[in-house]
Amino acid sequence: MMQSAPSGHPRELSNELDSGLGRSDTSARRHVVPAARHRVRYGRMLYLAVNTAVLVFLLAPIAIVFVFALNPTPFIQFPPVGISLRWFEKFFASRDFMHALGFSLEVAAITTVCATVFGASAALAIARGNLPGARLVVATMLSPLMLPAILTGLALFQTYVLLDVGRPLWGLVAGHTLVTIPYVVRTTLAVLHNFDLRLEEAARNLGAGPMRTFFEVTLPLVKPGVLAGAIFAFIVSFDQFPVSLFLVSPGSETLPITLFNYLKFDLDGTIGAASAVSILLAFVVVIGLDRTVGLRSYVKL
Amino acid sequence: MTKPSGPTLPRLSRRRFLAAGASLGVGVIAAPYVASADEPTLRITGWGGKWGDIMKAEVGPAFEKEFKCKLQTDTALPFLPKLQASSRSAPIYDVLHTNSNEQWAAVEMGLVEPKIDAKLVPHLADVYPYALSDKIVGVSIFTSAIGLGMRTDKGYSGVSSWKELWDAKYNGVRGGYVIPVNSLGQAFLMMCGTLFGKGQTDLDAAYAALEKLKPIKLVDFTGAMEKMFLSGEVGLGVIHDSGIYRYDGQNQPIDFVTPSEGVLSLEQVLTITPGSKLKELANAYVNYMLSAPVQKKLAETVWYSPANKMVKLDDKYDAKLLTTPEKVSKLVQVDWKWYNAHKDDIDSRVNRIFRA
Repeated sequence: MMQSAPSGHPRELSNELDSGLGRSDTSARRHVVPAARHRVRYGRMLYLAVNTAVLVFLLAPIAIVFVFALNPTPFIQFPPVGISLRWFEKFFASRDFMHALGFSLEVAAITTVCATVFGASAALAIARGNLPGARLVVATMLSPLMLPAILTGLALFQTYVLLDVGRPLWGLVAGHTLVTIPYVVRTTLAVLHNFDLRLEEAARNLGAGPMRTFFEVTLPLVKPGVLAGAIFAFIVSFDQFPVSLFLVSPGSETLPITLFNYLKFDLDGTIGAASAVSILLAFVVVIGLDRTVGLRSYVKL
Repeated sequence: MTKPSGPTLPRLSRRRFLAAGASLGVGVIAAPYVASADEPTLRITGWGGKWGDIMKAEVGPAFEKEFKCKLQTDTALPFLPKLQASSRSAPIYDVLHTNSNEQWAAVEMGLVEPKIDAKLVPHLADVYPYALSDKIVGVSIFTSAIGLGMRTDKGYSGVSSWKELWDAKYNGVRGGYVIPVNSLGQAFLMMCGTLFGKGQTDLDAAYAALEKLKPIKLVDFTGAMEKMFLSGEVGLGVIHDSGIYRYDGQNQPIDFVTPSEGVLSLEQVLTITPGSKLKELANAYVNYMLSAPVQKKLAETVWYSPANKMVKLDDKYDAKLLTTPEKVSKLVQVDWKWYNAHKDDIDSRVNRIFRA
């Protein structure tokens, strides 16, 4: 008879205990089964409590942002005294904030394209190109994650100053791309790790050229990793503060920089409203990608 | 079968692709310079908030029109590291506008000129002595008074001295700043030396006073302190007058107290960078900012006390801001050169005090 693995369910556990102790030993059974049941119940409660605590830990800051944004008082107050959209109105009526929001979206969009193209290409080369020193290349590609981003921003700023190019849009995008490429490389490499090269060979044997093989075989298979990296790139760029701190030019500030400068002088609910809009935008991007290219396969990552 | 005739696109060879890419790159890099080659651009720093709004809407455009130039204002902090990272001969800013403590750090590093030439800035003749004192690099165009903010609905009547901040009845509602990052907090530390010791530089007396100030609510930014007052979390605390007066007419139960020992000076200072290629325009800008109409406009917008003694403010502002020699004599200026030289030690010590 095949023995099933303990499932943890009280009834099944009881059956297992029955067979283990022997039905005749009713007295032992009477004592042990309730104890086991209690252990399972406590274990389950602990499991739920830990999960709830983790969820609260992750979501509480977001909830506080929304409370701050919707509270009509011009300062953080708990419990809130009411619900008002005045800070959202102020945010959307502000030319500076709207410009910063549009600019942040523009930078994040260009960064996403750049980081995805460079990062995914690099990952493909690393995984399959028989590159000499591939491990060193991987470490180099991931190094921006290890360096404090503020130093990356400062180093780029000094480079641009030395080149006497000012602080152009492409300079900001280059900075953001630098710190977002590691995400794309990492997620694409994760998919390529299990990639079956024979599929490409089959396509080539059937007459497909390198480009067709890439677009019709390789890309669809690595798409989950590339898109996951692209989403990370967009969100990291959109929220990027330390790199932007040195690279934004006067009059073209990203939303995080505008928020920082704003809160130095006015700490009101507009900050909360701007943060809420940022969070919602991140959701919109993720949902939009889900609807257009599908994200469900990411769970495999 | 023949191919249809017609215009054919040139074949995109690798060489052509690289050449096109390089041209595009050069074009992108050169575009800002080509576009702005016809008029000079004066690069300055400035604040956000209401200051930034009025500068962008009125004061800046009027200057551009009068001097036929562009004004490029960097409002994204931090200014000093950016200036430090740029070349001395081609600095990122022509005029640095920041508070006095940073200006002293800048002049020590040779990033800004120590003084403004009175021959090139005629309005220097019109300013109060504090604006050009030996405690000032460049020129102070405005000042705020750092004193005590107070809730008026809590029965804290009769506050007239800095020392009342140490009264035990304010435990739990006392407010101050994270000293290493806030110049109001730093100025207050110097005042503690004066109040309880031999003078501003008596750090032992200041540290002992800070120890006795606990419990105290500390914030990074003055904007945060304003909100603490509005919410009632702080009942008595250190703040600059403009942080209280800006709520004038909004029916808020807060007021500013000028302590009998004097108010600390929070100066808005302009300096010119040595490597600026637009020195004439930079001096013109400093002069413009000190002109009576600009001083009046900005003072009445952001509640800063004008440095130009010729300025006549409307009664409401005149009653509260430092607009007479008698009121100005209440200002206590901080020796920022000395403070900056001891900043690391001070930061380390106050961090230990307030961490505990």
